Amino acid sequence: MSASPPLIAVEGVGKRYATSSGPIEALQDVSLSVGEGEFCTLIGPSGCGKSTLLGMLGGLTAPDRGRVLVEGRPVTGPDPRRVATVFQDPGLFPWRTALENVEFGLELQGVPAARRRAVATDLLGPLGLAGFAGKYPRELSGGMRQRVAIGRALAIDTKIVLMDEPFGALDEQTRLLMGEWLLEIWRRTKKTVIFVTHSLQEALVLSTRIAVMTARPGRIKSVLELGMGYPRPMESPELVALRAKLWHDIREESLRAMGGDQ
Amino acid sequence: MRGLQLVSVLALLSAWEGAARAGWADPLFVPAPSAVARAFGPIGGPALAALGDTLGKTAIAYVLSMVLGVAAGLAVGSIRLLRDVLNPFVVALYGIPKILVLPWIVLLLGYGTAPAIFYGALHGLFPVLVLVIGAVRDVDRTLVTVARSYGATTWQLYWKVLLPAIVPSVFAGMRLGIVFCLLGVLVVEMFAGIRGMGYVMGAFANGFQAPELFAATGLVSAASIAIVLALDHVSERLSHWRG
Amino acid sequence: MTVALVRLGLVAAVLLAWEVAGRAANPLLAVPPSATLPALRELLLLRSYPDLGASLLVTLREIATAYALAVAVGLAVGGTLGMNRLLGRAYGPMLAALYAVPAVVWYPSLMLFFGLDAASKIAFGFLLGFFPVTLAVLAGIRQVNPHLVTVAKSYGAGPLTVFGRVVLPATLFTLVGGLRTGLALSVIGVIVGEILGSKRGMGALINHAYGLLRTADYVALVLVTLALIVGTDVVAGLVERKARAWSE
Repeated sequence: MSASPPLIAVEGVGKRYATSSGPIEALQDVSLSVGEGEFCTLIGPSGCGKSTLLGMLGGLTAPDRGRVLVEGRPVTGPDPRRVATVFQDPGLFPWRTALENVEFGLELQGVPAARRRAVATDLLGPLGLAGFAGKYPRELSGGMRQRVAIGRALAIDTKIVLMDEPFGALDEQTRLLMGEWLLEIWRRTKKTVIFVTHSLQEALVLSTRIAVMTARPGRIKSVLELGMGYPRPMESPELVALRAKLWHDIREESLRAMGGDQ
Repeated sequence: MRGLQLVSVLALLSAWEGAARAGWADPLFVPAPSAVARAFGPIGGPALAALGDTLGKTAIAYVLSMVLGVAAGLAVGSIRLLRDVLNPFVVALYGIPKILVLPWIVLLLGYGTAPAIFYGALHGLFPVLVLVIGAVRDVDRTLVTVARSYGATTWQLYWKVLLPAIVPSVFAGMRLGIVFCLLGVLVVEMFAGIRGMGYVMGAFANGFQAPELFAATGLVSAASIAIVLALDHVSERLSHWRG
Repeated sequence: MTVALVRLGLVAAVLLAWEVAGRAANPLLAVPPSATLPALRELLLLRSYPDLGASLLVTLREIATAYALAVAVGLAVGGTLGMNRLLGRAYGPMLAALYAVPAVVWYPSLMLFFGLDAASKIAFGFLLGFFPVTLAVLAGIRQVNPHLVTVAKSYGAGPLTVFGRVVLPATLFTLVGGLRTGLALSVIGVIVGEILGSKRGMGALINHAYGLLRTADYVALVLVTLALIVGTDVVAGLVERKARAWSE
């Protein structure tokens, strides 16, 4: 449409890790661009470098080759003014209450106490945690903890939210509910989300776009555009067809990952 | 449970009293509890002053060892090279009986307050150091990654993540440390003291003043247990998030 | 590799600093390594202290007696309190509370009872070693996984089998640690006792050298005592590893 650069651009990125059994090629020549307001899901077999790629977007890992741009500027380190990350392990600080955990990012940025408290309190309602502000992480269920972690990411109000299998450790029912809830939040806040998952269902129900990654070394194998609106009934013919295509791609790669991992 | 504890202590005391009165135990070595209780009277004032002296030295040694132990433990625990190089030395020094260097410390620092504080602090330092190094090493890596991704500066990483995360270990170290500091101070007072509870107890022992010695021993023990219980109470209130 | 080098460098730097400072300082107060070695040789050739061997033996015998008593009494008390719920719940906490008292407060009383000879050192070494052994037995019995007991019972094991096959091995693992700590503390107890006042043993020699300001001899004696302590700990460590391997 316009000539302005995409919000996120990954250009020919490669990464190799040195291990005791020799170097491992985690990512090879990965290119991807994500526009504002997209919900882009990365899916692929275990060890395909999804998390490494996400770490690069979040500034926690540096690429060996290629570059990663956010709003046209190369990423050189964590930038909590533009990018927030949610990890699979919620990583809540056990000595902080739910509310104080949500405040964490604002506190680091030096936002005055009263103001950050107000922001965090306003967030707890939509997070479904209104009555739990004063609870410590050990007093919360797994789903609640992950919602607190998501709240912590939303509190710093970045354009981009990275999510690394945020629901991976939850049971299936909770996972479905959390997906619905996240969709609601995303549609209201209009954030750009990059979402890593193992679940086809999650990817199909949530994404505007799905990038399938290959087995190691990770590359982008295919990209699916999902034009339809929300909510998406799983049994609609469109989704069933997409699911078949997605499964075809992922199956191939998963077999490769399981077979010749070297 | 409390009842059983109380009854057994009372039974023990009365058996002891009875044995002493019946003349089964030599009162020179095993004075009756009533004699010990009476001894609190004459020694009370001076003993409390000596206890104050000892606790004062212990307090200074304690503050020194805790501050140094937590600071050094944070540094050594969080910097990989320092930890790899120094940890075995720290563990070895923790285990070695420090009494071996006591004569040398007294040679250097003389009799009195300085060697007691130094030696007390030396005793208190190692448990905290060992616990804090271990605790920093074992801090959940995810918490560090989270803090980094939220843009934490090095200072914020230490102040808002590492320090709160090791609070339980610091308390465990403080609990051990106070007993160790007091032990160190008492040992110096016994070995080369001119004042303080250790010196007083040594003098009672040498003078075969058993009732006075028992009274003094009871006083120090009670003080030590009270301090540890108070620390436990504080640590429980400050670690409520652990559940 | 780098770590080993840095460690080596650190030791060298400390020795060098000690040498430099030791030479600059009053020889009564500080002894550089270069003066320690000759003193150590004189000591080991039995020239400075001819009764070194006898003293080592005295100290070792005190340690062995104290430790044997600590283990025997510790096992008995710990076992009794551990297997009997009521006694354990009543007296366990009282024992733990005594642990919060710096043990050296008991030493003057022991000196009064047992005099300046070996008995007071043995008593103090026993007292220090007794606590970790007892508490380890208690902790070991308490932390036997009840699930394991249930599993064993569901496979038809009787109470004796449960004790022999489940409780004992599970306790042994914790107990071995307590036994090692107990030994280290018995050693410390005997040495502390000797230095605080004795007529024989390594502590007496150390006090003698210190009292006469024979500082080089004092350092040499400390090194020999240290070797004795480290030696016992190394042996204990080997035994511990064997026992651990066996108990698994």
